[in-house]
Amino acid sequence: MSVINTQTPPTGPAQKVAEFHTPLILGEHGLCPGCGEPVALRILLETLQELNLVQRTIGVVGHGCYGSFVRIMDIDVLQCLHGRAPACATGIKRMRPDTAVFTLQGDGDMVNEGLQEVIHAAARGENVTCILLNNGVFGDTGGQQTATTVLGQRTKTSLEGRDAEKHGYPIRIADIVASVDGAGYVARGAVNTAREVMRTKRLIRNAFESQLAGEGLSLVEILTMCPTGWFVTAPDGPDYLESSMTAAYPLGVLHSRSAEAN
Amino acid sequence: MLDSTSEHELLILGIGGQGIQLIGKTLAQAATSSGRHAMLAAEYGGEMRGGPSQATVVIGERPLRSLPILASAGSAIVMHDRFCGVVPERLRAGGLLVVNSSIVDPAAAGDGYRVGGLPATDIARELGKPQTAGFIMLGAFNALTGLVTHEQLVDAMRSLLPPYRIEHADSNAAALLAGSDAARDLELSGTVAA
Amino acid sequence: MSATAPVAEMAPLELLEGSTAIARAAILSNCRFFAGYPMSPFTGLLENMAKLMPAAGGVCINAESEIEGVNMVIGAASTGARAATGSCGQGIALMQEAVAEAALNETPLVIFNMARNQQDYFQCTRGGGWGDYRTLTLAPKDVPEAVEHTQLLFHLADKYRAPVILYGDPLIAQTRVGVRLAAPDLEPLAPKDWALDGTMGGTGKSRQVWTWAMGKVTDPGLGPDGHWRAVADKFEMIAAAEQRWESAYADEAETLVIAFGSAAKFTEYVVDELRAEGHSVGWFRPITLWPFPGAALAQATRSSRRVLVYELNAGQMLDDVRQFVHDRDTVRFIGGVSIHESGLSYGPLLDAPVLRDRILAAMAQPTER
Ligand SMILES: Cc1ncc(C[n+]2csc(CCOP(=O)(O)OP(=O)(O)O)c2C)c(N)n1
Ligand code: SF4
Ligand SMILES: [Mg+2]
Repeated sequence: MSVINTQTPPTGPAQKVAEFHTPLILGEHGLCPGCGEPVALRILLETLQELNLVQRTIGVVGHGCYGSFVRIMDIDVLQCLHGRAPACATGIKRMRPDTAVFTLQGDGDMVNEGLQEVIHAAARGENVTCILLNNGVFGDTGGQQTATTVLGQRTKTSLEGRDAEKHGYPIRIADIVASVDGAGYVARGAVNTAREVMRTKRLIRNAFESQLAGEGLSLVEILTMCPTGWFVTAPDGPDYLESSMTAAYPLGVLHSRSAEAN
Repeated sequence: MLDSTSEHELLILGIGGQGIQLIGKTLAQAATSSGRHAMLAAEYGGEMRGGPSQATVVIGERPLRSLPILASAGSAIVMHDRFCGVVPERLRAGGLLVVNSSIVDPAAAGDGYRVGGLPATDIARELGKPQTAGFIMLGAFNALTGLVTHEQLVDAMRSLLPPYRIEHADSNAAALLAGSDAARDLELSGTVAA
Repeated sequence: MSATAPVAEMAPLELLEGSTAIARAAILSNCRFFAGYPMSPFTGLLENMAKLMPAAGGVCINAESEIEGVNMVIGAASTGARAATGSCGQGIALMQEAVAEAALNETPLVIFNMARNQQDYFQCTRGGGWGDYRTLTLAPKDVPEAVEHTQLLFHLADKYRAPVILYGDPLIAQTRVGVRLAAPDLEPLAPKDWALDGTMGGTGKSRQVWTWAMGKVTDPGLGPDGHWRAVADKFEMIAAAEQRWESAYADEAETLVIAFGSAAKFTEYVVDELRAEGHSVGWFRPITLWPFPGAALAQATRSSRRVLVYELNAGQMLDDVRQFVHDRDTVRFIGGVSIHESGLSYGPLLDAPVLRDRILAAMAQPTER
């Protein structure tokens, strides 16, 4: 690695951090300060650009706070019913096998309302990439418990903290999908630190490459901050994620058909 | 034979396993292949072995107005007496009734129909193919009505056999022919009501 | 006015079970995606699609639920492909959220409701989804007409960018009839420039299929208020343009019998018989259940002294008849719930002799006028 020469001026003009955004994002998102979802959107769209997929991609967006991304992403989009994105993505991909198809879903969308859709799509080996933004709450409706809320976590429908006896256990959907034969690639990342953001971006890239290689369904679960739904301050979000979610949802690659074949 | 406006409606009654659906299908297919309009309606749930089985076939020169649940029929083939209560209810007076006399007593049909008794089960046994009694009845019925030619009937039977049953084609054809031969000697009894 | 997608007279007659005939008609109409979940008597259509689609270069998926099936179809249709699903009763009930969604985000699709009887009239014409939408519903009276309606429905779905329904039944699904099949010859339609193909990413003009129609920050859409008004207006326009019906002897008959679907075929048959015997009776048949041909019914019943409604349910179309008939006091219900002991088909009330008795009994009653 070469050491940066501080004796000469930089070759390109200086840029503000805010200008480092992909041209596929058409404007400001309207989400809460400290929300992890816009970060995930950004690395998703950057990946499409880097893989040169921008003009052959169709996205399917479910219902959650990320639903408003439909207004700011410059990609062909079907905004579908709550939970049904993997089914819609199936219909799209079967009719347009040359496109790259992804779903953008939350934990409420994928693991509560649409649990069977994602498992069946995986079992069918549909060549689509599902992006799960897991913040452990229904953010959009104000912070209620979802199927992925971790034990002990307080939500508006588990006021004393999620208690397995009263509320059941959280579902590790990525592990379930990884165990399904039709899955091509399954991984879990997070966006609470710069390092995890970069790692998660690689996972997304792997997932799309797996889709393009026809390996079956790929899923990237991304742990995202929801300071509003967690009732913490925006700056506390990343640490709260670290302390509450990563133990229940270990990060890393859970299944990779190509890696296992090698 | 049919004139250009009339429709020929046939009721086929028996029990599951007697090939009721297959002979209905054969006749309807033969009529269709000969360029006429045909309809085959099956009674729901009638496919089980030993349970009632009923098919209705309608043939006409023009698009059919007959109903898939027949209001009344001009003829009937009755293979088993357990399930022929439909006959007095639906067969029109003067209608043609061909019964399998090996099982059903033609005299029991009463007055009002042109009745032909054909010992189809016995003939089939003599041919060494007891399961072809239905085709014997169909061969006889077609010879009596002339709805389609004998060749059309045989062709339709062959075309409907799945590849794994094709070895039955010759015995089925023999049964159709035996039925048609038997019809030649058949005396239609029963008084024909006006 | 009859609902006919003209079919070349020269196609040969083929003896086909209704489910096979409908599947082939759909494929001839360029349907290339089908997804469904088995339920009698719809199952035969699913099986035929599974058998025939691959050779046509299409896809048929045995979906894991009706909900999944209809959402797959929304996805397929959003790419511009002609797509369809089907079921009956409970299965169609499960699809309602998606049917409303397709109406509001304007994806054209065809739903084959191969119903077990006529108890799905409200479900088809009122729907159970949310929003100001309607589902154009054609109710064929027999298999040959189901073939025509199938082809017409794919056309109308695309023309209006809306979900549409074929109301079939066990008699249509399972009866074998001689039919002629040919590619439909219908008016050309506008290209689907709205369909998602993925090519517009990064151009600032990427496409959206979106119930809320908010558009992009750089190019705002109508938003829910404007879009849902426009959709409601569209259905009002369809209501005016697409009413289809058929009737006979309405002007001269004292008694008019109203029926739809298979029951209308039985009605036509029995009325012909009664007329041959000298009775003053006629019939009227809505071909579109929605839009209900209300103006035509009002016209047809102007001189009727008795209006008899024959449907195989507790009286669902009866509501629409009462709404539009010339004189409500002339209406009598002669239908009813009647289910085969299997629960899967019609009971004994769908029968010509029974209908004949009911009409004659009603005609023996004094009239209001
Ligand atoms: C059928 C249906 N039920 C409920 C809703 C309401 N709803 C909208 S967003 C949402 C929560 C989504 O949660 P999640 O997918 O986790 O997304 P987040 O907002 O947390 O990002 C719910 C329940 C809906 N839109 N549709
Ligand atoms: S509620 Fe949570 S998920 Fe929704 S925008 Fe706010 S922080 Fe993000
Ligand atoms: Mg969430």
